[in-house]
This record gives sequence, structure tokens and C-alpha cells, in this order.
Amino acid sequence: MPKGFTLWFTGLSASGKSTLAERVRDILLERGMKVEVLDGDEVRTNLSKGLGFSKEDRDTNIRRIGWVCHLLTRNDVVAVAAAISPYRAIRDENRRLIGRFVEVYCQCDLDTLKGRDPKGLYEKALNGEIKNFTGVSDPYEAPEKAEVVVNTASEDIDASVNRIIATLEQLSYIPATDGRGYNEEEEESIKQRLKDLGYI
Amino acid sequence: MLFFRGRKKRRVCVVGLDGVPFGLLKRLAEESVMPRTAGIIREGGLRKMRASLPPVSSVSWSCFMTGANPAEHGIFGFTDVSRDSYQLRFPTFADVAVPTFWDRLGERGRRCAVINQPATYPAREIPGALVSGFVALQLQKSVWPKTHLSALERMGYRIDVDARKAADDPDGLLDDLEATLKRRRMAAGYFWKQEAWDYFQVVVTGTDRLHHFLWKAVERREDPRHQRAMDYYRRIDDFIGGLWDTFHEGRSADREGEGFMLLSDHGFSGLKRDLRLNAWLHDNGYLEYAKEDPASVADIDPERTRAFALDPGRIHINARERFAGGCVDASEVSALREEMAAKLRALKFEGEEAVAHVFTREEAFHGPKQGLAADLVAIGRAGFDLKGTTKGGEIFAESHFQGMHTWDDAFLWTLLPVPESPDISEPAAAILDWLTQ
Repeated sequence: MPKGFTLWFTGLSASGKSTLAERVRDILLERGMKVEVLDGDEVRTNLSKGLGFSKEDRDTNIRRIGWVCHLLTRNDVVAVAAAISPYRAIRDENRRLIGRFVEVYCQCDLDTLKGRDPKGLYEKALNGEIKNFTGVSDPYEAPEKAEVVVNTASEDIDASVNRIIATLEQLSYIPATDGRGYNEEEEESIKQRLKDLGYI
Repeated sequence: MLFFRGRKKRRVCVVGLDGVPFGLLKRLAEESVMPRTAGIIREGGLRKMRASLPPVSSVSWSCFMTGANPAEHGIFGFTDVSRDSYQLRFPTFADVAVPTFWDRLGERGRRCAVINQPATYPAREIPGALVSGFVALQLQKSVWPKTHLSALERMGYRIDVDARKAADDPDGLLDDLEATLKRRRMAAGYFWKQEAWDYFQVVVTGTDRLHHFLWKAVERREDPRHQRAMDYYRRIDDFIGGLWDTFHEGRSADREGEGFMLLSDHGFSGLKRDLRLNAWLHDNGYLEYAKEDPASVADIDPERTRAFALDPGRIHINARERFAGGCVDASEVSALREEMAAKLRALKFEGEEAVAHVFTREEAFHGPKQGLAADLVAIGRAGFDLKGTTKGGEIFAESHFQGMHTWDDAFLWTLLPVPESPDISEPAAAILDWLTQ
């Protein structure tokens, strides 16, 4: 069975993509998997250096990240991409290219994002100092079929991480562990309850 | 209808009655067993509602709380099967892959108090308070935030009745149902006052338990326990009436009833026979076991098994692209599905057709997790309860249960705008709109 897959975090700037990617990476590393994180900000300083924020450049950037994820995935590495990736069509293109692809949509309302604004980007964008800023002056197309939707404005980060890991387990991309689900004793009790009502 | 003036902020109160069919609710209202409910539904708004596929509480309530299809929220039954080992696994609340509408209300600054919602165990943070329902095991892991735990312990809160004793002690079950409902009502009263809620929900699961074990007592006047079963419904009616009165004291709506909702997660009918799908698959040459006394589908022989069933009517094709030990090529799946569906539709017991519907995965499920769903979902005709057990070679078997879940006759009563013929994922949008407009 292949072991590689791509976990693709998409969402607006400051929506929690990098934070969640790091947390999930740590869990996957602990479970003995080979993991590489491709963070959008870092990629723009090397792989996509020189690209701007026009639609064409954004698409090129996301296709490049997708291509690297594709190579990693087919070599049994878990590729974790954290990039705004605002256009649905390009994300879906990567999904088709990679196959073993899990999309995580980091949903967050603009007011919360403005409140966070760790790099002061929203303030500058709203003041017109930054052009083509996704969510303010450039579009963001939310996924229609993300495997996981996390709301980072209202949801506890542990809950988001748990749901992502649970989805990977459910999709059989990673083996299930007792740590997150029921332990053996609980599982026996659940079985008994279900039997008592004829549900198994 | 009364019209209120000076409305405060909008609120919603939902009472869930697990496993109560449309026809039964209507009858009990008409026969004055449930006079308060009769008063509520008198002026319209009551409709039949389709449950989830399959019609079990974990799936149906997950559809309700997310407003999503199982292929979106990822809960397909009380059990899932591993792609690698065919072992059963038991999904938890953490497996729900999309936010609940309670989470969405929280984004808009609204708070929720949710009591005894099935499929929410272990409890996690929601904007407000949550007490998990079935299959919750320990109260400590069923309550969020934990600050409410001691109050629930003090009132002797019960998560559920003891179903293990129910089959042998029907009178004990009725006592247990009454005692559990009393505590549920106390918990509802507690959260009503303690939480500054905009959305309130309490689910009564005792109705489902009553129907599983004592459906005849509900249906037949001559049954020796009929009056006790009706008394249980009278108490539920009183509970509903009490919530209705208190809800309207708060003037939460422009007109009476707006924002109040009653619903069930699936229907119920009497039971003639269990229909053991794995026995049927074995009998028809689709399934072979590796052991003489198989404990679960983990004991199939993957090389000789083309299909197997999980409860209640989920048939998975043992496809190579899906299961590590799969033996069916992708090119054969479609024809195999059609063949099995046609045979199931023709299946009879003593001249009576046993299967009402057979849905393909594509007909039943829409969303990114469609690939995890069963290839076929079968729904039995009333009286034939589809099972995924691997025990017993008989296809049609007698059961100690008296009732079974049904799919297309859950009920919904609401004055909020919902489709005339809704399914259980649809009230969520109406509630969200109402509370956030």
C-alpha cells in the first residue's frame, strides 16, 4: 500500500494554516512517518522567488507547490502544503495530479483575521498599501469538497487537529491508534451497548 | 395564533424524540394521549421527514447537527470497517468532519445548550454547553464544559436506560424509562436557567428504547403494558408542554411557535423478522468466511468474498481499489452492484417482499467522503430489519426485539421555512437563518 499523501491547507492569510500544518506534522512524525511541510511564505523565498501576486503568478506558485507535493507523495512522503491557494480550479488541478490528496479548509471570518493580523498585512491592505490582498482586494474561492473544514475562529486548535487526524485515519492514509479513539475497554463497552439494541 | 409585541432576541428550542414515527405522533396527538403536542401541531407545520441513509441515530443526528450528508460529515453508521484488516471501528464525535451548526452559531456570537444529543461522545467544546447522548459511556466525558458535571451528578443524571436488562424485564425497562426521563427533564431545567442560550435542544432517547423492546405495548391497546407505554408518552407530552410555556414566556418569536421545533431522527415499525444480509450474501455465493464461527466481518476470507454487509443495510463490495485484500476489479463493481440490488429487491419471505429500496452509493451520498460509503444501502420493508451480523446461517431470523427503525417516516414540526418533504439534514439551515438574520 502506498504511504504518501498530500495534506493541503487552504485559507486566508492568518487563518491558522501554518500553525495547524506544524501541529499535524509533529503528530505524523511521532507516528514514524516521513513528512515535509511546504509553507507558502517560505516557498515564495525559494521555489517561487520572483513571482508576484497576479492571478497568473499565484497559479504558477500553487502549481509548483502541487508538483513538489506530487513527487513527494509518490515517494511515500507525506507532503503538507500550507498556502492561501485562493483559486479552486488550481487546487482541484493539484488534487487530480496527486490523487492521494486531502484538502483542509481553514475557515475564519475577516473580523477575527483583522484582529489577529500578525504581520500587519490586513491593516495595510485595508489602507490600500498592499494591492491584490486575498480576502480584501483579491478573491478567495472556498473549497466545495474539502475533506475537513476547520473553523479557526471558534474552534479549539486541539479539536481541529483531532479532526484532521481522525479524517486521515478514516481515509486509511494513516493507521488508527487507540490514543484518539476509544481504548480497548471502552470499545468493548460500546460493542455491548450496540449489541443490546441490536445495532451490531 | 397569538402575536407578540416587543420581541426580545430570537431563540430556538428543539425537542428531539428519538425514533418516533410521523404516524404515531399524529395518532397520539389525535387520541389525546399527547394533548399539549396536539395543540402545537394543530395549526399546521407537521410533516413527514426522511431520516439518513441508513436510518440509525448516529448518522441521522450527525446529519441534523451539521446540515450535511454523510459523505460530507463522514459518519456512515455506528461502525466503520478498516481498509486493511476489515476490523470494525467505532466513530467518535471527533470523526465528524465538518462543523456543527452550533459551531456556526458560535461564529455569530450565539450560544447553545444541547442535552443528550446522540453521536457527540466524547463531548468537545461547543459555543455553550453540551451533554452527549448515546453511545456515551461515562458522564465525565459526556459534559462540556466540565463545570456542569457536579450539578448533573447531584441530580443523578442518567445518560440512558440499561438496555441489557430490558429484554428480560419489560416492567423494569418502563421504570427505568420514567426515571431517566425525570432526570433528563431536570437537566433541561438546569441548563435552561444556567446557560445564556440562543439555541436550546434536548433529545429524548427513551422513545427509541421503548419501541425496540415494547413496540407492541405502544401499538396494541390489548397489550398488558399499553397503559404504561401511553403514560410514558403523557409524561413526554407534559415535558414538551412545559418547554413550550417557558419558551414563550421569553417572547422569543414574533408569533407563537416560531423558533420551537419538534422532530424525530427516524421512524419505527413492528418487526417480523431480522434479515441477515451476510447470511444472504453467503447463500448467494458472494461471501465466504475464513472461520467456522465468524465474530465479525474481520473473519471473512478476502480472496473469496466479493461483498459483505455492515449494520444495518450497508453492503460493501470487496473491491481491490478499496480494501487491502480486495478481490473485485474496478471494472466489475458496477455489474456486481446491479446484480445484487436486483436480487435483493426480489427477495421474499413467505411470499412477501422484504426489501423496499436499494440505493447505490452515488444515489445516497454526496460529498468528498463518498468513496468511504457502502456500495449499496438497502432499506427493509416495514417488518424486515436488515442486519449486518455474521452470526447464524438463517437469512430470515426471529428476534427478541419488537420494533425496528424505518427511513421515510420520521417527523418534523416547525413554523420555520423548510421544504415540504424534508430530510433530516435540512432543518439546520432554517435554524441558522432564523437565529442569524
